[in-house]
Amino acid sequence: MSYSVTSSLARALNVLSESMGQGRVVAGATDLFLKSLSPELVDVSSVPELLGINRDHGSLSIGAGVTHAEAAASPLIRLEAMALAEACRQVGSPQIRNIGTIGGNVVNAAPAADAAVALVALGARAVLIDLGKRQHHAAVEELYADYNLSTVDSSSEILLRFLLDLPARDEGSAFLRFAPRQALSLPLVNAAARVRLKGDAIESVRAVIAPVNPAPTRLYETEKMLLGSWPEDDTWRKVEYTAASEVEVRGSLLRCSAGYRQHLVGVLARRVLKKAVERAVKSRMGGDGS
Amino acid sequence: MKEQVISFELNREKVEICADPALSLLRLLRSRFNLIGTKEGCGRGDCGVCTVLLDGRAVNSCLIPAGKVEGRKVLTIEGLTREGLKKGAKVHPVQQAFIDKGAIQCGFCTPGMIMSAYALLRDKPFPSPEEVREAISGNLCRCSGYKQIEEAILEAAKAITEQEGKW
Ligand SMILES: Cc1cc2nc3c(=O)[nH]c(=O)nc-3n(C[C@H](O)[C@H](O)[C@H](O)COP(=O)(O)OP(=O)(O)OC[C@H]3O[C@@H](n4cnc5c(N)ncnc54)[C@H](O)[C@@H]3O)c2cc1C
Ligand code: FES
Ligand code: FES
Repeated sequence: MSYSVTSSLARALNVLSESMGQGRVVAGATDLFLKSLSPELVDVSSVPELLGINRDHGSLSIGAGVTHAEAAASPLIRLEAMALAEACRQVGSPQIRNIGTIGGNVVNAAPAADAAVALVALGARAVLIDLGKRQHHAAVEELYADYNLSTVDSSSEILLRFLLDLPARDEGSAFLRFAPRQALSLPLVNAAARVRLKGDAIESVRAVIAPVNPAPTRLYETEKMLLGSWPEDDTWRKVEYTAASEVEVRGSLLRCSAGYRQHLVGVLARRVLKKAVERAVKSRMGGDGS
Repeated sequence: MKEQVISFELNREKVEICADPALSLLRLLRSRFNLIGTKEGCGRGDCGVCTVLLDGRAVNSCLIPAGKVEGRKVLTIEGLTREGLKKGAKVHPVQQAFIDKGAIQCGFCTPGMIMSAYALLRDKPFPSPEEVREAISGNLCRCSGYKQIEEAILEAAKAITEQEGKW
């Protein structure tokens, strides 16, 4: 096996080209190292095009090589994409967050990957580059081929960054997970939401839940119910019921029964949407939304 | 497996070694550098006994391919002890605080705990108990119940700031 560390995107693409399909991109290696390693690994964790968090033409641009620790601590992400900061803050342990990246989290394609769930709720688009140096964009939820299988071919494509629309003044987002322990514990259910208000009504909403399908899953029925009105106590009860009924969950011997997970889906959907609405209200009133 | 030359800084010294880049950093440290202070527990990121610092941040050395440390800085528990010796103490103040506070029982988790604690104190010299608990949330201890460990880290923070300039 060969392992090359490079800080040049062109060189990383070259190594992949020359390895004729035997190469593979690696970032933090927290997922890849426990699986089988490809004969030629190209470590992209210090390629500048994959780093950095900045505002860029009305979008928030977040490098695929940004670690969970960096994302969780970033003032810009905390201000503009709180759901992502909250998700990254809860991944694994400090050791995992210090090296695991959000790009790796998405391409690893685990159905309940925390950062991926937040990114889908935020409406993030991925920017990818192929060996011919052509760039293309795809919505994060479109990057799932199957359970634990990404459409991104890491032997011939590099995920560069994520772009998401900067929130308006009336927006808020949130992420929640339910896990047996606070650290080193995979979530039984995780949920994220992004909400925009207009006057006394919810103008747009994205609510996402996992693990239900291979990709983080939108709660379309629940979203529809919330659109165009102001949620009262009774609405929140309906949110819980609708969210739990609109998805079909599976139980697992390792984690929990299907019935328990169904219950958690409803509760987390309600809580996360409520929190996103509260943040939107706060942000409208001039707070930082947190 | 094909070997390759890997150059990095280990405990503040430049080193170069010919090794399989797919070996874990943990194995590299233990079997090639004979630095056996770093322990192997689960081998999959779940216990933290293999914690070392990579460019100043706590990481699980069992999950790091050796090839990844090329050009970077690795600090192990042996490097920390050496810093203590250099300053005329027996060990580093974080290690001393663990001894003084009875935060070591079987000792298997201790090197990893101390590296996580040291990484915290480098960033936050005055951590709150909550920050201490978070910093060691990736380190399991099956003996102590964590209370003494938390106290030791808070004690170490005090000792280091009191002797400021020295450390
Ligand atoms: C102990 C432990 C606990 C964990 N806990 C959690 C948790 O709580 N929540 C959670 O969501 N995850 C968790 N994980 C999973 C993992 O840490 C994360 O998914 C992490 O974000 C993966 O990022 P990485 O940079 O380490 O990816 P890598 O392992 O480097 O790569 C993962 C995959 O993505 C590909 N890849 C990486 N970067 C790119 C890129 N830029 N372009 C193209 N392909 C790329 C690689 O080829 C590989 O197939 C845990 C893992 C461990 C070991
Ligand atoms: S041995 Fe590395 S985390 Fe357990
Ligand atoms: S002292 Fe025995 S595991 Fe911590």
